[in-house]
Amino acid sequence: MDWILGSGLFGFLHLTWQAAVMMAIGGVLLYLGIAKNVEPVLLVPIGSGCLMANIPLGGAADAGGFLTVLREFGIVTELFPLLIFIAIGAMIDFEPFLQRPYTIFLGGAAQFGIFLTFFLGYALGDGWLHLLEFDMKDAAAIGTIGSADGPTTIYVSTILQTKYLAPIVVAAYSYMALVPIIQPPIIKAMINKQDRGLKMEVYVGATPQRVKILFPILTTVLVGLIAPVAVPLIGCLMFGNLLRECGVTKNLAVTSQGELANIVTILLGVTVGGMMQGTEFLKPETILVFALGVAAFALDTVSGVLLGKLICVLSGRKVNPMIGACGISAFPMSSRVVQKLGLEANPYNHLLMHAAGANTAGQIASVIAGAVMLMLTV
Amino acid sequence: MRLAFWILISRMVIIMAVMTVLYLGIVILNKSVRPKTGAKEER
Repeated sequence: MDWILGSGLFGFLHLTWQAAVMMAIGGVLLYLGIAKNVEPVLLVPIGSGCLMANIPLGGAADAGGFLTVLREFGIVTELFPLLIFIAIGAMIDFEPFLQRPYTIFLGGAAQFGIFLTFFLGYALGDGWLHLLEFDMKDAAAIGTIGSADGPTTIYVSTILQTKYLAPIVVAAYSYMALVPIIQPPIIKAMINKQDRGLKMEVYVGATPQRVKILFPILTTVLVGLIAPVAVPLIGCLMFGNLLRECGVTKNLAVTSQGELANIVTILLGVTVGGMMQGTEFLKPETILVFALGVAAFALDTVSGVLLGKLICVLSGRKVNPMIGACGISAFPMSSRVVQKLGLEANPYNHLLMHAAGANTAGQIASVIAGAVMLMLTV
Repeated sequence: MRLAFWILISRMVIIMAVMTVLYLGIVILNKSVRPKTGAKEER
Protein backbone atom coordinates (compact mmCIF):
# COMPACT_ATOMS: atom_id res chain seq x y z
CA MET A 1 0.00 0.00 0.00
CA ASP A 2 2.83 2.42 0.89
CA TRP A 3 4.35 1.69 -2.50
CA ILE A 4 1.13 2.69 -4.22
CA LEU A 5 0.71 5.88 -2.13
CA GLY A 6 4.32 6.90 -2.68
CA SER A 7 4.38 6.12 -6.38
CA GLY A 8 3.12 9.55 -7.44
CA LEU A 9 0.27 7.84 -9.26
CA PHE A 10 -3.35 7.25 -8.22
CA GLY A 11 -3.98 10.85 -7.10
CA PHE A 12 -7.51 9.97 -6.02
CA LEU A 13 -6.05 8.00 -3.10
CA HIS A 14 -4.72 11.31 -1.76
CA LEU A 15 -7.97 13.19 -2.28
CA THR A 16 -9.01 15.11 0.84
CA TRP A 17 -12.56 16.36 1.42
CA GLN A 18 -11.31 19.95 1.11
CA ALA A 19 -9.80 19.24 -2.30
CA ALA A 20 -12.99 17.45 -3.39
CA VAL A 21 -15.17 20.38 -2.32
CA MET A 22 -12.91 22.86 -4.12
CA MET A 23 -12.92 20.76 -7.28
CA ALA A 24 -16.72 20.76 -7.12
CA ILE A 25 -16.67 24.56 -6.73
CA GLY A 26 -14.32 24.78 -9.72
CA GLY A 27 -16.81 22.65 -11.66
CA VAL A 28 -19.68 24.95 -10.67
CA LEU A 29 -17.70 28.01 -11.84
CA LEU A 30 -17.03 26.31 -15.18
CA TYR A 31 -20.71 25.36 -15.48
CA LEU A 32 -21.83 28.94 -14.75
CA GLY A 33 -19.34 30.33 -17.23
CA ILE A 34 -19.93 27.88 -20.07
CA ALA A 35 -23.55 26.75 -19.71
CA LYS A 36 -25.09 29.87 -18.17
CA ASN A 37 -22.79 32.43 -19.84
CA VAL A 38 -22.15 34.19 -16.49
CA GLU A 39 -18.95 36.23 -16.88
CA PRO A 40 -17.33 33.42 -18.93
CA VAL A 41 -14.18 35.45 -19.58
CA LEU A 42 -13.48 35.36 -15.84
CA LEU A 43 -15.18 32.23 -14.60
CA VAL A 44 -13.71 29.80 -17.14
CA PRO A 45 -10.07 30.65 -16.29
CA ILE A 46 -10.87 30.85 -12.53
CA GLY A 47 -12.71 27.52 -12.57
CA SER A 48 -9.90 25.87 -14.53
CA GLY A 49 -7.26 27.23 -12.14
CA CYS A 50 -9.30 26.03 -9.18
CA LEU A 51 -9.56 22.51 -10.62
CA MET A 52 -5.83 22.29 -11.38
CA ALA A 53 -4.81 23.64 -7.98
CA ASN A 54 -6.82 21.03 -6.09
CA ILE A 55 -5.97 17.85 -7.97
CA PRO A 56 -3.82 15.85 -5.54
CA LEU A 57 -0.16 15.33 -6.52
CA GLY A 58 -0.64 17.64 -9.51
CA GLY A 59 1.72 20.16 -7.97
CA ALA A 60 0.32 23.06 -10.01
CA ALA A 61 -0.13 25.18 -6.89
CA ASP A 62 2.79 23.76 -4.87
CA ALA A 63 6.09 25.60 -4.40
CA GLY A 64 7.57 25.95 -7.88
CA GLY A 65 4.33 24.91 -9.57
CA PHE A 66 3.22 27.08 -12.47
CA LEU A 67 0.25 28.56 -10.60
CA THR A 68 2.53 29.53 -7.72
CA VAL A 69 5.02 31.06 -10.14
CA LEU A 70 2.20 33.07 -11.76
CA ARG A 71 1.00 34.18 -8.32
CA GLU A 72 4.45 35.37 -7.30
CA PHE A 73 5.10 36.97 -10.67
CA GLY A 74 1.78 38.67 -11.22
CA ILE A 75 -0.13 39.02 -7.97
CA VAL A 76 2.54 39.45 -5.29
CA THR A 77 4.29 42.05 -7.46
CA GLU A 78 0.89 43.68 -8.23
CA LEU A 79 1.78 43.49 -11.94
CA PHE A 80 -1.38 41.82 -13.31
CA PRO A 81 -3.87 44.28 -11.79
CA LEU A 82 -1.86 47.23 -13.08
CA LEU A 83 -1.66 45.76 -16.60
CA ILE A 84 -5.40 45.14 -16.49
CA PHE A 85 -5.85 48.79 -15.59
CA ILE A 86 -4.02 49.87 -18.75
CA ALA A 87 -6.43 47.68 -20.71
CA ILE A 88 -9.49 49.03 -18.88
CA GLY A 89 -8.32 52.60 -19.44
CA ALA A 90 -7.95 51.92 -23.15
CA MET A 91 -11.49 50.50 -23.28
CA ILE A 92 -13.35 53.22 -21.36
CA ASP A 93 -14.83 56.24 -23.06
CA PHE A 94 -14.99 58.93 -20.38
CA GLU A 95 -17.07 61.27 -22.54
CA PRO A 96 -20.39 60.64 -20.70
CA PHE A 97 -18.58 61.54 -17.48
CA LEU A 98 -16.79 64.58 -18.93
CA GLN A 99 -20.19 65.91 -20.09
CA ARG A 100 -21.54 65.49 -16.56
CA PRO A 101 -18.66 66.23 -14.16
CA TYR A 102 -21.02 66.34 -11.16
CA THR A 103 -21.30 62.54 -11.41
CA ILE A 104 -17.83 62.34 -9.82
CA PHE A 105 -19.57 63.04 -6.49
CA LEU A 106 -21.88 60.07 -7.07
CA GLY A 107 -18.78 57.97 -7.74
CA GLY A 108 -17.23 59.19 -4.49
CA ALA A 109 -20.36 58.58 -2.41
CA ALA A 110 -20.79 55.09 -3.83
CA GLN A 111 -17.41 54.15 -2.35
CA PHE A 112 -18.62 54.74 1.21
CA GLY A 113 -19.58 51.06 1.29
CA ILE A 114 -15.85 50.26 1.26
CA PHE A 115 -15.22 52.26 4.41
CA LEU A 116 -18.43 51.18 6.14
CA THR A 117 -17.63 47.52 5.43
CA PHE A 118 -14.12 48.05 6.77
CA PHE A 119 -15.65 49.36 10.01
CA LEU A 120 -18.18 46.52 10.13
CA GLY A 121 -15.53 43.86 9.46
CA TYR A 122 -13.22 45.24 12.10
CA ALA A 123 -16.10 45.40 14.61
CA LEU A 124 -16.91 41.73 13.93
CA GLY A 125 -13.24 40.81 14.22
CA ASP A 126 -10.45 42.08 16.44
CA GLY A 127 -12.06 45.47 17.09
CA TRP A 128 -15.04 44.42 19.15
CA LEU A 129 -16.87 41.08 18.85
CA HIS A 130 -13.82 38.87 18.12
CA LEU A 131 -16.02 36.49 16.12
CA LEU A 132 -13.16 35.75 13.74
CA GLU A 133 -9.57 36.86 13.26
CA PHE A 134 -9.98 40.09 11.28
CA ASP A 135 -7.35 42.68 12.07
CA MET A 136 -7.51 46.19 10.68
CA LYS A 137 -5.70 45.33 7.45
CA ASP A 138 -7.89 42.28 6.84
CA ALA A 139 -10.98 44.43 7.38
CA ALA A 140 -9.64 47.08 4.98
CA ALA A 141 -8.93 44.44 2.33
CA ILE A 142 -12.43 42.98 2.75
CA GLY A 143 -13.88 46.48 2.44
CA THR A 144 -12.26 46.91 -0.97
CA ILE A 145 -14.58 44.21 -2.34
CA GLY A 146 -16.96 47.17 -2.39
CA SER A 147 -14.80 48.90 -4.97
CA ALA A 148 -16.60 46.55 -7.40
CA ASP A 149 -13.33 46.45 -9.23
CA GLY A 150 -11.31 43.21 -9.27
CA PRO A 151 -7.89 44.69 -10.07
CA THR A 152 -8.23 47.34 -7.33
CA THR A 153 -9.25 44.67 -4.83
CA ILE A 154 -6.27 42.47 -5.75
CA TYR A 155 -3.84 45.38 -5.70
CA VAL A 156 -4.96 46.73 -2.32
CA SER A 157 -5.37 43.31 -0.67
CA THR A 158 -1.90 42.23 -1.78
CA ILE A 159 -0.22 45.33 -0.40
CA LEU A 160 -2.19 45.02 2.86
CA GLN A 161 -0.93 41.41 3.10
CA THR A 162 -4.29 40.04 4.22
CA LYS A 163 -4.62 36.38 5.15
CA TYR A 164 -7.85 36.19 3.15
CA LEU A 165 -6.62 37.17 -0.30
CA ALA A 166 -8.19 34.20 -2.12
CA PRO A 167 -11.77 34.52 -0.81
CA ILE A 168 -11.63 38.32 -1.12
CA VAL A 169 -10.63 38.15 -4.78
CA VAL A 170 -13.16 35.46 -5.62
CA ALA A 171 -15.92 37.38 -3.80
CA ALA A 172 -14.99 40.58 -5.66
CA TYR A 173 -15.26 38.94 -9.08
CA SER A 174 -18.37 36.93 -8.18
CA TYR A 175 -20.36 39.89 -6.92
CA MET A 176 -19.57 41.99 -9.97
CA ALA A 177 -21.45 39.39 -11.98
CA LEU A 178 -24.29 39.59 -9.45
CA VAL A 179 -24.81 43.36 -9.68
CA PRO A 180 -28.04 42.87 -11.69
CA ILE A 181 -29.36 40.82 -8.76
CA ILE A 182 -27.99 42.87 -5.83
CA GLN A 183 -28.84 46.42 -6.96
CA PRO A 184 -32.47 46.42 -8.26
CA PRO A 185 -34.20 45.53 -4.95
CA ILE A 186 -32.21 48.20 -3.10
CA ILE A 187 -32.95 50.84 -5.75
CA LYS A 188 -36.65 49.95 -5.80
CA ALA A 189 -36.84 50.06 -2.00
CA MET A 190 -35.23 53.52 -1.86
CA ILE A 191 -36.77 55.26 -4.88
CA ASN A 192 -40.47 55.31 -5.75
CA LYS A 193 -41.71 54.57 -9.25
CA GLN A 194 -42.43 58.23 -10.04
CA ASP A 195 -38.83 59.21 -9.28
CA ARG A 196 -37.44 56.20 -11.12
CA GLY A 197 -39.30 57.44 -14.18
CA LEU A 198 -37.72 60.94 -14.06
CA LYS A 199 -36.40 61.86 -17.48
CA MET A 200 -33.08 63.63 -17.80
CA GLU A 201 -31.95 66.27 -20.28
CA VAL A 202 -30.13 64.87 -23.32
CA TYR A 203 -26.67 66.31 -23.91
CA VAL A 204 -25.90 67.29 -27.48
CA GLY A 205 -22.50 67.94 -28.97
CA ALA A 206 -19.26 66.03 -28.65
CA THR A 207 -16.54 66.73 -26.09
CA PRO A 208 -13.52 68.44 -27.73
CA GLN A 209 -10.64 66.05 -28.34
CA ARG A 210 -8.30 68.32 -26.38
CA VAL A 211 -10.44 67.80 -23.25
CA LYS A 212 -10.30 64.04 -23.73
CA ILE A 213 -6.50 64.17 -24.08
CA LEU A 214 -5.88 66.54 -21.19
CA PHE A 215 -8.27 64.70 -18.85
CA PRO A 216 -6.11 61.60 -18.19
CA ILE A 217 -2.98 63.72 -17.78
CA LEU A 218 -4.71 66.15 -15.43
CA THR A 219 -6.28 63.36 -13.39
CA THR A 220 -2.97 61.53 -12.93
CA VAL A 221 -1.22 64.70 -11.79
CA LEU A 222 -4.02 65.96 -9.52
CA VAL A 223 -4.75 62.63 -7.86
CA GLY A 224 -1.05 61.80 -7.64
CA LEU A 225 -0.25 65.07 -5.92
CA ILE A 226 -3.06 64.61 -3.38
CA ALA A 227 -2.81 60.84 -2.79
CA PRO A 228 0.59 59.62 -4.07
CA VAL A 229 -0.19 55.99 -3.15
CA ALA A 230 -2.80 56.06 -5.91
CA VAL A 231 -0.27 56.78 -8.67
CA PRO A 232 0.29 53.18 -9.88
CA LEU A 233 -3.47 52.51 -10.06
CA ILE A 234 -4.77 55.79 -11.44
CA GLY A 235 -1.61 56.26 -13.53
CA CYS A 236 -2.08 52.95 -15.38
CA LEU A 237 -5.83 53.55 -15.85
CA MET A 238 -5.23 57.02 -17.26
CA PHE A 239 -2.23 55.90 -19.33
CA GLY A 240 -4.46 53.36 -21.07
CA ASN A 241 -7.07 56.07 -21.65
CA LEU A 242 -4.43 58.45 -23.03
CA LEU A 243 -3.38 55.77 -25.53
CA ARG A 244 -7.01 55.62 -26.65
CA GLU A 245 -7.64 59.35 -26.88
CA CYS A 246 -4.38 60.93 -28.00
CA GLY A 247 -4.93 59.82 -31.59
CA VAL A 248 -1.30 58.96 -32.38
CA THR A 249 -1.04 55.56 -30.65
CA LYS A 250 -3.89 53.71 -32.30
CA ASN A 251 -1.97 50.43 -32.47
CA LEU A 252 -1.02 50.60 -28.80
CA ALA A 253 -4.64 51.34 -27.87
CA VAL A 254 -5.91 48.44 -29.98
CA THR A 255 -3.31 46.13 -28.42
CA SER A 256 -4.23 47.27 -24.90
CA GLN A 257 -7.95 46.73 -25.52
CA GLY A 258 -7.40 43.37 -27.19
CA GLU A 259 -4.31 41.26 -26.78
CA LEU A 260 -3.09 42.78 -23.50
CA ALA A 261 -6.54 42.58 -21.90
CA ASN A 262 -7.03 38.99 -23.07
CA ILE A 263 -3.58 37.73 -22.09
CA VAL A 264 -3.64 39.30 -18.62
CA THR A 265 -7.24 38.15 -18.06
CA ILE A 266 -6.21 34.56 -18.82
CA LEU A 267 -3.20 34.77 -16.51
CA LEU A 268 -5.05 36.62 -13.75
CA GLY A 269 -8.07 34.33 -13.91
CA VAL A 270 -6.12 31.09 -13.79
CA THR A 271 -3.92 32.48 -10.99
CA VAL A 272 -6.93 33.56 -8.92
CA GLY A 273 -8.38 30.08 -9.46
CA GLY A 274 -5.06 28.61 -8.36
CA MET A 275 -5.37 30.52 -5.09
CA MET A 276 -8.57 28.63 -4.29
CA GLN A 277 -6.92 25.77 -2.46
CA GLY A 278 -9.06 23.90 0.03
CA THR A 279 -6.79 24.48 3.02
CA GLU A 280 -6.71 28.22 2.34
CA PHE A 281 -10.29 28.66 1.23
CA LEU A 282 -12.51 26.40 3.33
CA LYS A 283 -12.51 28.34 6.58
CA PRO A 284 -15.38 29.92 8.55
CA GLU A 285 -13.86 33.30 7.73
CA THR A 286 -14.56 32.73 4.03
CA ILE A 287 -18.31 32.76 4.67
CA LEU A 288 -17.99 36.03 6.57
CA VAL A 289 -15.81 37.51 3.81
CA PHE A 290 -18.53 36.69 1.27
CA ALA A 291 -21.25 38.09 3.57
CA LEU A 292 -19.28 41.31 4.07
CA GLY A 293 -18.76 41.49 0.30
CA VAL A 294 -22.54 41.59 -0.26
CA ALA A 295 -22.81 44.19 2.50
CA ALA A 296 -20.15 46.29 0.76
CA PHE A 297 -22.00 46.24 -2.58
CA ALA A 298 -25.33 47.01 -0.84
CA LEU A 299 -23.88 49.88 1.22
CA ASP A 300 -22.22 51.31 -1.90
CA THR A 301 -25.58 51.30 -3.66
CA VAL A 302 -27.38 52.84 -0.67
CA SER A 303 -24.85 55.66 -0.25
CA GLY A 304 -24.79 56.37 -4.00
CA VAL A 305 -28.59 56.52 -4.17
CA LEU A 306 -28.77 58.77 -1.10
CA LEU A 307 -26.48 61.32 -2.76
CA GLY A 308 -28.44 60.84 -5.99
CA LYS A 309 -31.60 61.82 -4.10
CA LEU A 310 -29.90 64.89 -2.68
CA ILE A 311 -28.66 65.97 -6.12
CA CYS A 312 -32.17 65.31 -7.49
CA VAL A 313 -33.65 67.74 -4.97
CA LEU A 314 -30.88 70.34 -5.37
CA SER A 315 -31.20 70.25 -9.18
CA GLY A 316 -34.95 70.80 -9.11
CA ARG A 317 -35.66 67.17 -10.07
CA LYS A 318 -33.53 67.34 -13.20
CA VAL A 319 -31.40 64.37 -12.11
CA ASN A 320 -32.82 60.87 -11.76
CA PRO A 321 -31.68 59.64 -8.31
CA MET A 322 -31.18 56.12 -9.68
CA ILE A 323 -27.95 57.13 -11.41
CA GLY A 324 -26.44 57.40 -7.92
CA ALA A 325 -26.45 53.60 -7.82
CA CYS A 326 -24.10 53.62 -10.84
CA GLY A 327 -21.41 55.31 -8.78
CA ILE A 328 -20.07 51.83 -8.07
CA SER A 329 -17.55 50.94 -10.70
CA ALA A 330 -19.16 47.71 -11.91
CA PHE A 331 -19.04 48.93 -15.50
CA PRO A 332 -21.23 48.51 -17.53
CA MET A 333 -23.50 46.18 -15.52
CA SER A 334 -24.67 48.91 -13.19
CA SER A 335 -25.55 51.27 -16.07
CA ARG A 336 -27.59 48.53 -17.70
CA VAL A 337 -29.47 47.91 -14.44
CA VAL A 338 -30.44 51.59 -14.17
CA GLN A 339 -31.37 51.82 -17.86
CA LYS A 340 -33.65 48.79 -17.43
CA LEU A 341 -35.28 50.12 -14.25
CA GLY A 342 -35.76 53.53 -15.89
CA LEU A 343 -37.54 51.97 -18.86
CA GLU A 344 -39.71 49.86 -16.54
CA ALA A 345 -40.90 53.01 -14.75
CA ASN A 346 -41.28 55.10 -17.92
CA PRO A 347 -41.02 53.51 -21.39
CA TYR A 348 -39.58 56.76 -22.83
CA ASN A 349 -36.91 57.16 -20.16
CA HIS A 350 -33.42 56.42 -21.54
CA LEU A 351 -30.84 56.88 -18.80
CA LEU A 352 -27.99 54.83 -20.23
CA MET A 353 -25.58 57.68 -21.05
CA HIS A 354 -26.25 59.46 -17.75
CA ALA A 355 -25.76 56.19 -15.90
CA ALA A 356 -22.56 55.53 -17.87
CA GLY A 357 -21.29 58.94 -16.76
CA ALA A 358 -21.73 57.99 -13.10
CA ASN A 359 -20.41 54.50 -13.78
CA THR A 360 -17.14 55.72 -15.33
CA ALA A 361 -16.83 58.30 -12.56
CA GLY A 362 -17.18 55.37 -10.18
CA GLN A 363 -14.30 53.63 -11.95
CA ILE A 364 -12.03 56.56 -11.11
CA ALA A 365 -13.45 56.94 -7.60
CA SER A 366 -13.02 53.24 -6.79
CA VAL A 367 -9.34 53.39 -7.70
CA ILE A 368 -8.87 56.44 -5.48
CA ALA A 369 -10.87 54.82 -2.67
CA GLY A 370 -8.64 51.74 -2.87
CA ALA A 371 -5.59 53.95 -2.63
CA VAL A 372 -7.11 55.81 0.30
CA MET A 373 -7.47 52.47 2.10
CA LEU A 374 -3.78 51.86 1.41
CA MET A 375 -2.99 54.84 3.58
CA LEU A 376 -3.32 52.33 6.45
CA THR A 377 0.09 51.08 5.44
CA VAL A 378 1.88 54.41 5.08
CA MET B 1 -12.77 50.84 17.60
CA ARG B 2 -12.20 54.56 18.10
CA LEU B 3 -9.32 54.41 15.61
CA ALA B 4 -11.46 52.46 13.14
CA PHE B 5 -14.23 55.04 13.45
CA TRP B 6 -11.70 57.81 12.87
CA ILE B 7 -10.43 55.98 9.77
CA LEU B 8 -14.03 55.56 8.52
CA ILE B 9 -14.87 59.25 8.83
CA SER B 10 -11.50 60.57 7.64
CA ARG B 11 -11.48 58.32 4.54
CA MET B 12 -14.99 59.46 3.58
CA VAL B 13 -13.90 63.09 3.92
CA ILE B 14 -10.65 62.48 2.00
CA ILE B 15 -12.38 60.79 -0.94
CA MET B 16 -14.99 63.52 -1.26
CA ALA B 17 -12.23 66.14 -1.05
CA VAL B 18 -10.35 64.43 -3.90
CA MET B 19 -13.59 64.21 -5.88
CA THR B 20 -14.15 67.95 -5.36
CA VAL B 21 -10.66 68.74 -6.65
CA LEU B 22 -11.27 66.52 -9.69
CA TYR B 23 -14.66 68.11 -10.29
CA LEU B 24 -13.18 71.59 -10.24
CA GLY B 25 -10.33 70.44 -12.48
CA ILE B 26 -12.73 69.05 -15.08
CA VAL B 27 -15.04 72.08 -14.96
CA ILE B 28 -12.06 74.41 -15.48
CA LEU B 29 -10.74 72.14 -18.25
CA ASN B 30 -14.12 72.08 -20.01
CA LYS B 31 -14.47 75.86 -19.80
CA SER B 32 -10.94 76.63 -20.92
CA VAL B 33 -10.95 74.29 -23.92
CA ARG B 34 -14.48 74.75 -25.25
CA PRO B 35 -14.69 77.55 -27.87
CA LYS B 36 -16.43 80.65 -26.57
CA THR B 37 -19.82 80.77 -28.31
CA GLY B 38 -20.62 84.01 -30.02
CA ALA B 39 -17.06 85.31 -29.84
CA LYS B 40 -16.80 85.44 -33.63
CA GLU B 41 -20.03 87.36 -34.01
CA GLU B 42 -18.90 89.97 -31.48
CA ARG B 43 -15.73 90.65 -33.43
